Amino acid sequence: MIEFTVFFVFAAIAVIFALVVVLHRNPVVGALSLVASFFALAVMYVLLEAPFLAVLQVIIYAGAIMVLFLFTIMLLNLQRREEPATRPVQQFLGYTTSALFGIAMVYYLAKYAVLQLPSSPFLSDARRVGVTLFQAYVFPFEAVSILLLAAIVGALVLSGRSVTQS
Amino acid sequence: MIPTHWFLILSAVLFAIGVCGVLTRKNGITIFMSIELMVNAVNLTFVAYARQFHQLHGLIFVFFIMAIAAAEAAVGLAIFISLHHHRETIDVDEANLMRW
Repeated sequence: MIEFTVFFVFAAIAVIFALVVVLHRNPVVGALSLVASFFALAVMYVLLEAPFLAVLQVIIYAGAIMVLFLFTIMLLNLQRREEPATRPVQQFLGYTTSALFGIAMVYYLAKYAVLQLPSSPFLSDARRVGVTLFQAYVFPFEAVSILLLAAIVGALVLSGRSVTQS
Repeated sequence: MIPTHWFLILSAVLFAIGVCGVLTRKNGITIFMSIELMVNAVNLTFVAYARQFHQLHGLIFVFFIMAIAAAEAAVGLAIFISLHHHRETIDVDEANLMRW
């Protein structure tokens, strides 16, 4: 019973803060709301018996990626800048399309995606995930490390142009 | 245990909110945050099905998606900083040239 209460409370938190991200004009408020939404999703991972991913979610998303976003927003000093109004046609089409998409997905998921729950609990602690990662997925793991290195170099090249010019 | 399709419905709602943000906003950083929201909705779907079918592969995929989202955020924000240096704005409607 307490599981269901936790689910509904944190689902509501995730959805409300996601709406704040999309609707609020100030990007700093949006970034902080996104952090709150990610924390609620970490609670969802705990409910889904994946505590390792919940920790990763908090450390990588709420910790690293959102700090990067906040640094960029503050570096560019976007807080006082007024966002120009979007064209009304684009606004209307965007809202109606995404609302229809969301309603259709929820309808079909509630109708056709109802599955029988597994009887035994899902064992996915850090040890099991690590063993699978380093046995079956060694090559993708190394490829991701090279991808991250390429991303570092790319970010330096893209944003450091004014430094090399001076 | 909470039924799997509830998590799928939550994920669908979050994804639709992210789509709404990408389609209606003009601020580049807000569009980027909406994309992160959609990535997280997909992650939730992966973990929900991983529990449903007792497969650890879904969790490994979420791990890789997180790494790729970090790389994407670094490069994308660098692009916005570069755009701000040249155009003094991050309005995506203003970014209409391939080079300058």
